[in-house]
Amino acid sequence: MKYAMTAMGFVLAATAAAAEDKIVVEFGYPYSHLFDVTYEAILPKFYAAHPNIEIKMRATYESYEDGTNTILREAVAGNLPDVTMQGLNRQAILVEKGIARSLEPFIAAEADFAKDGYHKAMLDLGTFGDEVYGLPFSISLPVGYYNMEVMAKAGYDATNLPATWEDVVQACVKLREAGVDNPMFWGWNITGNWFLQALMWSQDKPTVEGNDFQLDSDEGLVALETMQNIFTGCEMQNLEWKSALASFSAGDLGMMYWSTSAVGAVERAMGDFTLVTNEYPGITAEGPMGLPAGGNSALLTSTSDDPEQLAAAWAWLKFITSGEGAADVARTTGYMPPNQAANEIILADFYAENPAKATAVRQLPLLREWQAYPGDNGLAATQVIYDGLEGIVTGEYEDMAELQEELSEEVQDLLD
Amino acid sequence: MQSRAHLWFIGPAMALMFIVLLIPILIAVGLSLTDYSLGNQGAEFVGLENYERIFTRSTYEKMFVATFRYVFVVVPLTVGLGLGAALLIHSLGRFGDLYKTIYFLPVMAALIAMAIVWEFAFHPTIGIINSTLEKGCGTFLEAWPWYAKGCERTFPLWLNDRDYAIWTVSFIGVWQGFGFNMVLYLAGLTSIPPQLYDAAEMDGATRGWDRFRLVTWPLLGPTTVFVVTISFIRSFQVFDMVEAFYPQGGGPSKSVFVMMFAIYEKGIQQNLMGIGAAITVVFLAFVMVLTVIQRWLVERRTHYV
Repeated sequence: MKYAMTAMGFVLAATAAAAEDKIVVEFGYPYSHLFDVTYEAILPKFYAAHPNIEIKMRATYESYEDGTNTILREAVAGNLPDVTMQGLNRQAILVEKGIARSLEPFIAAEADFAKDGYHKAMLDLGTFGDEVYGLPFSISLPVGYYNMEVMAKAGYDATNLPATWEDVVQACVKLREAGVDNPMFWGWNITGNWFLQALMWSQDKPTVEGNDFQLDSDEGLVALETMQNIFTGCEMQNLEWKSALASFSAGDLGMMYWSTSAVGAVERAMGDFTLVTNEYPGITAEGPMGLPAGGNSALLTSTSDDPEQLAAAWAWLKFITSGEGAADVARTTGYMPPNQAANEIILADFYAENPAKATAVRQLPLLREWQAYPGDNGLAATQVIYDGLEGIVTGEYEDMAELQEELSEEVQDLLD
Repeated sequence: MQSRAHLWFIGPAMALMFIVLLIPILIAVGLSLTDYSLGNQGAEFVGLENYERIFTRSTYEKMFVATFRYVFVVVPLTVGLGLGAALLIHSLGRFGDLYKTIYFLPVMAALIAMAIVWEFAFHPTIGIINSTLEKGCGTFLEAWPWYAKGCERTFPLWLNDRDYAIWTVSFIGVWQGFGFNMVLYLAGLTSIPPQLYDAAEMDGATRGWDRFRLVTWPLLGPTTVFVVTISFIRSFQVFDMVEAFYPQGGGPSKSVFVMMFAIYEKGIQQNLMGIGAAITVVFLAFVMVLTVIQRWLVERRTHYV
């Protein structure tokens, strides 16, 4: 017994000593299939610069919704990570509930913060009531992915890719005649509502104004009808998003409309074909008037009062959102780093060499907010929209005006 | 004076029952009357609003449809197949143990792991089911219109087509569950005294069907009541498979949105404790009714031995 106690004492002392040597920063991030490679690239550089900090990765979040939810649960249970990556449209709820900490004190302590490449437009994405809470880490926009070998069967090449959704439906018909079973996949299921917002912003209409859900407008009906035309015109299969990405990478699909974020993952996984990305089609020939920014930003959720612990968390947070850390986002994924210095200096030649990742950069002037659904029911509202859109894909809803009314009522009811 | 010793005997059990069972249920009932959302400081009392939602909203209508479809497909089939398998195995001299093990294997396997295997099998293009079906194209099978349609384009997305999803999931439920019922029935069969069969034969029950109808089935009464009740409860509880197949949304057009998944979606995924607790209470009520019916049947009808 005595020996056992002594041994336990040694073990405890050893762990305490190890803890003194290194400050452990706990960190959570979503979408491991996109970001694992990014953090694998960043970590060695970070450890070289900060040898006394250890980053402890928590289990990754399956999606942004799952990420927000995990943080809310962890806040109740009292085991929040120090830094968490959250979807751009899920920051607000964590700020409202007082879980995210303001970054102002840390920014004030930095000598030349603007010189690190954080410029105002990007900081705005994480600013709530004059205070910066989140530093954007990765920005995405919807783009079109094309398998040029499949597209060639219907006579398409890089110069005449579809520019409107009607063109897309025509392309589907031609591809089907040319013997392609599954011509297209349209990513309605990206976090349940992002592509709805894309069709709304395409017409320059926000999806949420204040507390009002705007689907009951004329633009809302156009958005739903456009989706219906795409789904029925292309006879799109209701693929789960992971199998859709797998099908495209395997060369089965000719066209896929998805976030630019997956370009890196598709390039790594794809078979032997030519991948071209092109501008997201518009409802009219002029193209979209706006598109929602996807992506995530880093929030400080540490509950520690220890200044050293906070400084370490801040060091990590700053490292991944600026300089080499931010540049690795572009190198490993299809995301754009929202950091001027990273974009203009480190990545100067990068986009010329990687044209598939350049489409989103060309679309940057269209960048609009990815809107949140305010209040406690935000996640529930997203689910209602997801269910509604899925009903269009499965053919459950045929009358879009009816669906528009049903969805508007149910979502509005959740937002009030 | 009467001794108070009995309090010391039943006290610990009573206290545990209150702390572990009754108080959590009462808390759930209390929460179901509020709009508590995880992470909030307080909550508003909303009366029966959550229950009103459950019985009026189309989402919850889909929940009941999915749950009852699953339950009323899986219960009869698992009970029927369980009884059939038990009778066959019971009549076997050799290999009985081997079959027992084979049929019981799916019960022992974790359903969530099996779900992943099934997901591969049902994959629309590379899964074994659809690629096997494709092999039959161009043969006489194409005379069947459904098959011809599958050959022309693709065979169904078993898990993601709203016309097929709930039946596919039910099929896996049956596959997984009937071995359990088989074991229960086997236990029931061994407890039937063989003399009864001899007596029945003397009275003229010579055919196998007569022996089953007059001896086996009545004497399996208590077992059947138990098997049916436990099958109902297990089917109401189906969750892990749905969560593995459809982590978001509960299947195509919510066609596999079973109650347990609804509780999880509202209470855990969306942090809406109020409505999640309300669904839990409705769920408990269902299970309670089933248990009461079982007690009643056991006490009234099934005492033959």
